[in-house]
Amino acid sequence: MFLINCPFCGERDQSEFSSGGEAHIVRPKQPTELSDDEWAEYLFMRKNIKGIQFERWNHVHGCRKWFNVVRDTSNDKILSVYKMGEKPPVNYK
Amino acid sequence: MLDILHPKISNINKNNIDINLSEEIIKINIRGKNKEFFTKIGKILSIILPSEPNTSSSNESYDVLWLSPDEWMIYFEENKNTNIFDQLYKDISSINLGSITDISSQLICINIKGENIFELLSSGSPFNFEKFKNNVGSSTQTLVNHIDVILHHKSKNNVNLFVRRSFSEHLYEWLVDSSNFI
Ligand SMILES: [Zn+2]
Repeated sequence: MFLINCPFCGERDQSEFSSGGEAHIVRPKQPTELSDDEWAEYLFMRKNIKGIQFERWNHVHGCRKWFNVVRDTSNDKILSVYKMGEKPPVNYK
Repeated sequence: MLDILHPKISNINKNNIDINLSEEIIKINIRGKNKEFFTKIGKILSIILPSEPNTSSSNESYDVLWLSPDEWMIYFEENKNTNIFDQLYKDISSINLGSITDISSQLICINIKGENIFELLSSGSPFNFEKFKNNVGSSTQTLVNHIDVILHHKSKNNVNLFVRRSFSEHLYEWLVDSSNFI
């Protein structure tokens, strides 16, 4: 269990949220020009890092807004929270 | 069989907690973003939509709850103002200034009153009620007994709980049962 600071509602329990997986995956501009392997890479392949990971979360039982989270997956520490469309913090590469 | 339109919710008092069904409440979901939308809503309702998260605003006719940065819920007794939905729809939805949806049949309002209501709600919710219980007018969306709810701190120790109609009987039974252990 951990707390997430929703950028809209404030600090709430994790059980109010739903994880949307890795953040900042850009949809290819011309999907028809990709090979099956390249398409599969975009669609399915995720880093699943042990350590600092950039993720999307949805406050599904609250304001229902999507936002980004920087989380250390090894200890569930939330290092940063930022809204959709905002630039990811640079100090966690 | 579960009667979704008329769930079996009777008024009850247990351990000084009053649980009452509040029916004939109109609930309207409002969504919008731009300046013109805010001006129009303000004019029609004579109320400013709350912009601060987890708050509400009220006048003698309506209560408006903040749901998200671009979403609110307004509620009032059915006999108070029957054509406000039509007016909102005409001036906002029909010209794509925002979205107005009557969700009266979707949600049911259960009123909970008493000194221990926040202990009752806390016993089945991940929400921290510390700030909420000290501030009349607070509102929030959260889970109670794993069920999505909208809560409005209407007056001291008096909360209006909005829940999907199909979940309401089950949640009501949980509230009544849990009142025994407060
Ligand atoms: Zn939120």
